[in-house]
Amino acid sequence: MDLSVQQFRTKAEQEFLDLYTKAEKTLPGSKNPFVADLRKNAIATYARLGLPHRRIEAWKYTDLRAHLEDVYPLATPHRGTIGTNELEAALGKAIVAFSAYRLVIVEGELREDLSDMSALKDAGAEITSLAQALETPPAWLKETLSKAGPREDDAVFALNTALMTGGVTLRLPKGLTLDKPIHLIHLDGTGDPASMVTRNVIVAEEGTSATILESYGSLGMKELQRNAVTEIEIGDKAAIHHIKFQREAVETTHLGIWLATIGADARYDAFQVSTGALLSRNQIYVGFDGEGSSTEISGACLMRGRQHCDTTLIVEHRVPACVSRELFKVVLDDHARGIFQGKVIVAPDAQKTDGKQMVNALLLSETAEFDSKPELEIFADDVVCGHGATSGQMNEDLLFYLESRGLPEAEARAMLIQAFVGEAFECIDNETLREAFSGVSADWLGVSLE
Amino acid sequence: MLEIRNLHANVDGREILKGLDLTLPTGEVHAIMGPNGSGKSTLAYVLAGKDDYEVTEGSVTWNGVDLLALDPTGRAVAGVFLAFQYPMEIPGVATMTFLRSSVNAVRKARGQEELSTPDFLRVLKEKAKDLNIDVEMLRRPLNVGFSGGEKKRNEILQMTLLEPSLCVLDETDSGLDIDALRVVADGVNALRSPERSMLVITHYQRLLDYIVPDRVHVLSDGRVARSGGPELAMELEKSGYAEFGGEATAA
Ligand SMILES: Nc1ncnc2c1ncn2[C@@H]1O[C@H](COP(=O)(O)OP(=O)(O)O)[C@@H](O)[C@H]1O
Ligand SMILES: [Mg+2]
Repeated sequence: MDLSVQQFRTKAEQEFLDLYTKAEKTLPGSKNPFVADLRKNAIATYARLGLPHRRIEAWKYTDLRAHLEDVYPLATPHRGTIGTNELEAALGKAIVAFSAYRLVIVEGELREDLSDMSALKDAGAEITSLAQALETPPAWLKETLSKAGPREDDAVFALNTALMTGGVTLRLPKGLTLDKPIHLIHLDGTGDPASMVTRNVIVAEEGTSATILESYGSLGMKELQRNAVTEIEIGDKAAIHHIKFQREAVETTHLGIWLATIGADARYDAFQVSTGALLSRNQIYVGFDGEGSSTEISGACLMRGRQHCDTTLIVEHRVPACVSRELFKVVLDDHARGIFQGKVIVAPDAQKTDGKQMVNALLLSETAEFDSKPELEIFADDVVCGHGATSGQMNEDLLFYLESRGLPEAEARAMLIQAFVGEAFECIDNETLREAFSGVSADWLGVSLE
Repeated sequence: MLEIRNLHANVDGREILKGLDLTLPTGEVHAIMGPNGSGKSTLAYVLAGKDDYEVTEGSVTWNGVDLLALDPTGRAVAGVFLAFQYPMEIPGVATMTFLRSSVNAVRKARGQEELSTPDFLRVLKEKAKDLNIDVEMLRRPLNVGFSGGEKKRNEILQMTLLEPSLCVLDETDSGLDIDALRVVADGVNALRSPERSMLVITHYQRLLDYIVPDRVHVLSDGRVARSGGPELAMELEKSGYAEFGGEATAA
């Protein structure tokens, strides 16, 4: 391996390379030359880049190299039973009760016995486990996997490509409208600390319409390092809602990437809520490839203790006349740290772009910290772009108003926090899902909602 | 009975109430008048327990209960209700949800049974109708985009629902046209009862034509400067607050 660029590696940086060397021959698709090449190139990219650290602008507030001391071995799949009780403990009642086509990924492996594979196939979707798809990848999958983009300079993405073991590939054929959301449930296991590297590849062809919910929860594994990537291609005139809920155990390191490309006259709405993990970095890349499309990227993170949650968005307006909206709500208690980075790139041709971004933070303690960094790179002249960020404490006057109406202080605070994040939850179109998510913030606050 | 004795209170380290004495017997309605800045709203906030109003001396008891020892929630449970001069707007909190939560919180704390959603809605609809409040308005976020009159009617609606025993109304008449004033006054009068006391704070005599008080107190520089019957309000209407440190024009 070429070591000329990076002189020095930390223990964890070296351990990732060792992990690859050890697993190379047994990773899914290792016998397929296309997949083997893809992984080789990816690990070389990683070896060149090393882990991201604070002197890299995009990782200024989240020093992954300093955070990761050790790298855990790849998870060995869990065979235990996982029933409603386990799911509810991992994700909360509201999200589990929600009716959907379930696909359950445990310790990096798609558990077909727990998943609604045949129902989803009957509904018209093409669904395969990633592991299986990598053995003999179809042409469309090869095409998606070999596209450029952030693959070139994102070490986390490169590690994912090199080490991905599980996840799903999902194709929604032209014109398909799904009657129920798809719920991709990602769980850890119950054993020793492990790494889980998953990849979901979703192609939503022309005119399709679907809601895809990804949830991440813990069954009680000692410690988890998660690297989870979802690539999604949205065809012309398609309308996709993509939702993520992360409430992993508080020791977890969660590295998540969503990579979306959008065709013409299409709509992609992304929504993410995080309450779990010790350190989480959620990157969302959205690129417009067809005119007349729009995206709304929104969400909330609710953090306490020493949790650190970084949301980094990059929206690329590569063609004219597209609309992007970003709205995030960040609630931080104790020593928690929240980061929001939002970059909007408007290419020279992308006239009539309309891009707006807003992030609001609510600090519940003096020791919580919030940083935001908007970046607008605009190379076209006829555009409307804007961003805003606010950070403040609980409004004591509002609190007094509620208390004077007999609400106990804790309940009044919870009501105001819910109202604060609620504005982002409004972005969820599906009403039952929106209600399930108000349960999420209540759950975080430790209050019960009627 | 509300008994306020030698009440001193600071805001931002500055003394605003400077030895206020007031007795409000159960079942009576007393008006508090006085020039702007005399401390009327401060008194209201001190009674309701707002944090940044620091009581430095004196006592306040309601039916023998030491109000100053209770937090705002405790005071609401004990029967205190403040209708705000400027009701807060709270985006993201649906008015209806808020009303039901607070009614049930108070009922629970008072040892009463909580209202089921259908029961609550029935009561709500009835009371809203009396106050000319469109139930559709209650589906909107609390006070957000409400007109001045709607906010004040919403305050009276809350007062009706929470069944307080001590009502403090801070300039409930400000910003109301004559029709709205009548509706609000009717709502307040409907709550008058031998078990309930009211403190009606107003700068103008006009409201007292509709809510006729048993007694009138004039506040000046943080103290009760003068007390009298309803005729005192009429007198102030003519003479203004000049002798109480206010502007010379008629109130
Ligand atoms: N929150 C506050 N911060 C600073 N000063 C205040 C505050 N509230 C009231 N004051 C001051 O206290 C005095 C009395 O105000 P207030 O009680 O509102 O009078 P009124 O209601 O009789 O017009 C005024 O001088 C006012 O400026
Ligand atoms: Mg006032």
